[in-house]
Amino acid sequence: MTPFERADDGVLAAEFTPLESGIITDLAVQIAELLGELGADAAHPDDVFASIGIGGTDRLHRDPAIARLLPDAYGEDADASGDFRRMTEQSLATRKVGNARTVVDSLARGDGQVELIDEEAHAWMKCLSDIRLTLATRLGIEEDGDTGATDSDVALAMHDLYDWLAYVTETLIDALES
Amino acid sequence: MPQTLEETASREQIALDSPWVTLVWNDPVNLMSYVSYVFRSYFGFSREEADRRMLQVHENGRAVVATGSREEMERHVEAMHDFGLWATLQKVDA
Repeated sequence: MTPFERADDGVLAAEFTPLESGIITDLAVQIAELLGELGADAAHPDDVFASIGIGGTDRLHRDPAIARLLPDAYGEDADASGDFRRMTEQSLATRKVGNARTVVDSLARGDGQVELIDEEAHAWMKCLSDIRLTLATRLGIEEDGDTGATDSDVALAMHDLYDWLAYVTETLIDALES
Repeated sequence: MPQTLEETASREQIALDSPWVTLVWNDPVNLMSYVSYVFRSYFGFSREEADRRMLQVHENGRAVVATGSREEMERHVEAMHDFGLWATLQKVDA
């Protein structure tokens, strides 16, 4: 890729190779699928509730990756966390799916030539964070200093991706502030 | 005089309404530059203030990023979760 840079018209531009573009698209779609399935577990699978964003579950998801993306809001009060989750989880998941969709759409739009307004850049940053959090969970990176799994080619490839996506995030932040 | 009373009443409201904090917790994933950027763009902190709180998260494991009513803190926590930061709210210990 070429790093993100702010063009004269204010747009943030970067160029991704077809391979890079395909990988980010694939990962963003996976995040959307991971969170899109939450509707099936909802406490209120009712269209009216769903349409106003209410209808999440009332406890931390058993998949640790989803649990990290949608954590408890109250550290020491499970009941309050459950109530809050019921009211907000669905809309938060929907926003995250929307961020993933923005990433996929902006990559498809320019055939790897990505041009973002600042609002889309925020969706990108958030989705890149969601992808890296999920990769870290799968690799077992839980605390500062954790190396995570390195015992397979797949794990090593995930590490490369994890580091590269950090670089993409860095260039995006630099460009946003320029 | 009624004006004075209103001012006093609204100040009282704030005092009763603010013993809640939003905490952001350290995680090994999000970049320090990203956490600082989120603090600046969402909370409107100066670069210095954002970096100070980001380093607090990194070194102490957590930092208070906002104080106010429970409803406000719930909004902030949800926004932090949208950014992928690990945040919680809690009542300030008396």
